[in-house]
Amino acid sequence: MTDQNDLDTLAAEFVLGTLPTKERADVASRRANDPELDALILAWEDRLVPMMEDVAPVQPGPDLLARIEQRLDELESTGSSAAEPPHLATVTVLRNRIRRWQLSTAVASVAALVLVAVLAFQPAQQPQSFVAVFQHDDQQPAFMLTVDLESRQMNVRPVTAEPPTQGKSYQLWIKADELGPDPRSVGVLTNNMTIDESALRQYDPELLREATFGISVEPEGGSPTGKPTGPAIHGYLYPTEARDSGQSL
Amino acid sequence: MDSESKQSTEELRTHPEHPGEAPTVTSQDISALIGRVVQRDRAAFATLYHATAPKLLGTVLRILRDRAWADDVIQDAYIKVWQKADQFDAAKASPIAWMASIARNSAIDELRKHPARRGAGDEDLDQLPSAQPTAQAQLEDQQAVNSLNSCIDQLDKDRQDMVRLAYLNGWSRDELAAHFDQPVNTVKTWLHRALKQLKRCLAP
Repeated sequence: MTDQNDLDTLAAEFVLGTLPTKERADVASRRANDPELDALILAWEDRLVPMMEDVAPVQPGPDLLARIEQRLDELESTGSSAAEPPHLATVTVLRNRIRRWQLSTAVASVAALVLVAVLAFQPAQQPQSFVAVFQHDDQQPAFMLTVDLESRQMNVRPVTAEPPTQGKSYQLWIKADELGPDPRSVGVLTNNMTIDESALRQYDPELLREATFGISVEPEGGSPTGKPTGPAIHGYLYPTEARDSGQSL
Repeated sequence: MDSESKQSTEELRTHPEHPGEAPTVTSQDISALIGRVVQRDRAAFATLYHATAPKLLGTVLRILRDRAWADDVIQDAYIKVWQKADQFDAAKASPIAWMASIARNSAIDELRKHPARRGAGDEDLDQLPSAQPTAQAQLEDQQAVNSLNSCIDQLDKDRQDMVRLAYLNGWSRDELAAHFDQPVNTVKTWLHRALKQLKRCLAP
């Protein structure tokens, strides 16, 4: 058996979980300074992870995320100032933006402000692809909207949202300063929760980058007034500043 | 968030108790979310949690068989995800494998430290072999699942069970030796052979 072979077997058993405690701890500390061992471990994790198909998901209790976030708050507040969140300002801008939409539309009383998680697809080679997440509350993502700014193709997918009740439809809206004060309809989602992927092609990428998106519940077939009439949740394509920070996936 | 805003979104029908069941969160989404977490984006972190926590909790719970204990391990695991997100390298690992390894490693370390804390485990063997595929959302790539299952199926029956009991249930070499009534060194040898056979079988 060659050394390489031994090392691979060590990595395999580390991932399987069967190494004796002492050996396991040795491997865990050694991998930090041993790229070869680390790479072998990563390869075994990829090989074996499909076994998790077997594991039935278990819904965490409602408090667990709050506990985790509280712990993060504690860690961040005691951490160095270097941990300053680089995009806090952007999130604040986003929230203000949504408030502005609320205030500027007649449906403000029904269009709820819901926390919006916004994130960018930023694989190094494809910075023109973005995603907005529409969240029902602080916790549940309802829809994800992905937009490729170059091709202006988009895709809406439900995450926790279920098909609308009988006689109702979901409708996607876009709101941007250039489009005036009111949201403009992008389209009505089909009963299968899909939408015409090219429905954004009339908008230029710069506008899309700055736009806010909303999804509202409307009478079947879409809003009769041309404006959102039902409760809405909002998403926003994350702006591209993130690319300048040197972060990439 | 005021009560009015909560109320007004109720018409958006959801099944928040089963967010993992919508077959819509892809590996690419998870990678994107981890990328946002690197940017210290808490909302993305919450989304990442909701997309992955049910699976990871199921995984950890199956190893530890104690809900409070599993919750603690999941908490630690997500803290590590937050802290180590910048170490995730999509070129080297799938995001699911990366997150699963953080949770599993924590669970197994805990189990080895406090083996007596684990609940009774008569059901471990009942859970084998693999359950039928479900309609649940899969974070795993189905093709990879099929390949691995078919390779595991080619192992001797005892070795199939050993691999699954170790990976999914956190059984140690000693526990496997006791159950299969073999010396520990024999179990070690069987595991090594099984793993090598799996690697050969999975090689492209």
